[in-house]
Amino acid sequence: MPNIQIFDPALCCSSGVCGTDVDQALLTFAADLDWLKHQGGQVERFNLAQQPLAFAQQAAVKQFLERSGHEGLPLILVDGEIALAGRYPRRAELARWAGISTLAVQVQPAADSCSGPACC
Amino acid sequence: MQFLLNAPRHLFFTGKGGVGKTSIACATAVQLADQGKRVLLVSTDPASNVGQVLMQTIGNQIVAIHSVPGLAALEIDPQGAAQQYRDRIVGPVRGVLPDKVVHDIEEQLSGACTTEIAAFDEFTQLLTNPALVRDFDHVVFDTAPTGHTIRLLQLPGAWSGFIEHNPEGASCLGPLAGLEKQRNQYHDAVAALADPARTRLVLVARAQRSSLAEAARTQAELAAIGFQRQHLVINGLMPETEGQIDPLAQALANREAAALAQLPPALAHLPTDRLSLKAGNLVGLSALRRLFAMDESMVTAPWIDATTPPLPKLVTLLDGLAADGHGLIMVMGKGGVGKTTLAAAIAVALAERGLPVHLTTSDPAAHLTDMVAGTLDNMTVSRIDPKAETERYRQEVLASKGRHLDEAGRAMLAEDLRSPCTEEIAVFQAFSRVIREAGRRFVVMDTAPTGHTLMLLDATGAYDKEIRRKMSGGGLHFTTPMMQLQDSRQTKVLIATLAETTPVLEAANLQADLRRAGIEPWAWVVNQSLAAAKPTSPLLQQRAANEHAQLAAVANQYAHRYAVVPLQAQEPVGLERLRQLTQP
Repeated sequence: MPNIQIFDPALCCSSGVCGTDVDQALLTFAADLDWLKHQGGQVERFNLAQQPLAFAQQAAVKQFLERSGHEGLPLILVDGEIALAGRYPRRAELARWAGISTLAVQVQPAADSCSGPACC
Repeated sequence: MQFLLNAPRHLFFTGKGGVGKTSIACATAVQLADQGKRVLLVSTDPASNVGQVLMQTIGNQIVAIHSVPGLAALEIDPQGAAQQYRDRIVGPVRGVLPDKVVHDIEEQLSGACTTEIAAFDEFTQLLTNPALVRDFDHVVFDTAPTGHTIRLLQLPGAWSGFIEHNPEGASCLGPLAGLEKQRNQYHDAVAALADPARTRLVLVARAQRSSLAEAARTQAELAAIGFQRQHLVINGLMPETEGQIDPLAQALANREAAALAQLPPALAHLPTDRLSLKAGNLVGLSALRRLFAMDESMVTAPWIDATTPPLPKLVTLLDGLAADGHGLIMVMGKGGVGKTTLAAAIAVALAERGLPVHLTTSDPAAHLTDMVAGTLDNMTVSRIDPKAETERYRQEVLASKGRHLDEAGRAMLAEDLRSPCTEEIAVFQAFSRVIREAGRRFVVMDTAPTGHTLMLLDATGAYDKEIRRKMSGGGLHFTTPMMQLQDSRQTKVLIATLAETTPVLEAANLQADLRRAGIEPWAWVVNQSLAAAKPTSPLLQQRAANEHAQLAAVANQYAHRYAVVPLQAQEPVGLERLRQLTQP
């Protein structure tokens, strides 16, 4: 099973409800991740504000931060290689990376462009 | 002293800044040590002066107090604890990740909740780590002021549940992730706090309506989270003899008697001790040992009023406030300094100049409607109710954003909405709706306590950056709440304080935090000043003289401009008495 790693910007919470406005993209993504886990997908998630060491220890992530800064996050690695950056993946993308049948995937509304909720 | 009888292992003193918690906690610790007990005195007050009171330098390590056999002390500095926590998280990546990224992480970890969590973490160990306190019979805590204390003490309950339901640590309690391993410790801390055989809570209040109301709220909130065994100490009562000399002292004594006659029912049931007003700051052992003596006021020398500089009145700020004909006026400061009264007095004065005014408050302690019992044509009054706002926000989010989620997703969202951050955000939203009006008229606000307020400002700051990022390049005209707060033509922040050491220090910390957010306070208002009230009783005169060092610090060190409001003989309730605060 491929290993999916999500490197979040400095977030207060992974569902994004503590921003000044709730971020729909983060909410949808949190639900998608939950779905993926229930399908047996292998996902790890790292928050820059809480686990910065995880960012520093992965050469690909460290280089990405040096080139694009934290504004370029989120960054998604699949088996250590960059799969996506700058937005959260849709359910169908997650399913494809994880090798899970997309028949189970319902059409999701397009992600809102807004990201980066406030921390408290 | 009833609160000292059969004292359990842990004694907590709680109350607003300036009610005398530090002195009482110190005197308690000294008294217990004098009885042959081994005592640890712990200060978690951000403005701790335990070292000053005991005349020995104390730090974040337990040290023996040389002058009192059996007594040791420790100061927990919340800011220092937060810095240590930040260093633990950020230290390993400094110089490894780009500087800008490291800076962003540090900013995220500079919020009020990081400070509280880090301080609480240290404090938990004292309740749960037997090795640390094995050598003591009693641990006496001089806690942070009430609002802060409530949060601090509410946290373990909230968290034990929260951590259980969020095994991945992916929650709104951001900094918790780093502390998660200690969940057993948090659980034990709650158990220790809720156990009356081990813990006694002593509420400290002054004999003033607002102070007693605040104590009653604390009582209810702490009782609700299991803190059952509570005592009450009413500190600083006017000695009868002073009233015979000085009409102001007599009026204050009458005010106290009236406040005590209407003691909130929740407090009336508590075992209560009363302490008389003392002339000076309680520094040194002999003063501490006499604190619990009712009949001594410790007047040392008559005070001669020769060097009193003229103190600027509140009215001197009004022209500057009124100049633009509209704008946001925020009175900020710790609970108990009279923010609501000052905001109401300013609102009334502006309205009586014929200016349109909206007076609003988010302070959960506000009795704004009581205070402005009369009505003025061009003044509206409203209240932001944190509880109602939070519930509305929860429902709104679940209905709108939760709509597209499946059941599991909705459950997760509902769980995150139970986090402590939610209230801050909800109040912030209500707050930003109101401040938009300030372009057309005056909006005068008394804000919620400091930690609260800064959370809101943190939120505004992030909102601001977000909008800036989205709009840059588009060349669109936009204004965010944060930009409005930072612009001194649109917003004037008044820092309210009392002419006492702890409140002035707390106000200075608030100012520093505002400056970090790019907000420059416009003026300071020192409320309830005895020096400005010109008392004749020797006791009150000596207390007035003690204010001078703090008034000088405000005038010379902290404020661009300032005003001093005298202590009122009668409680400033209602239009007529509010007007007196802005008399020339």
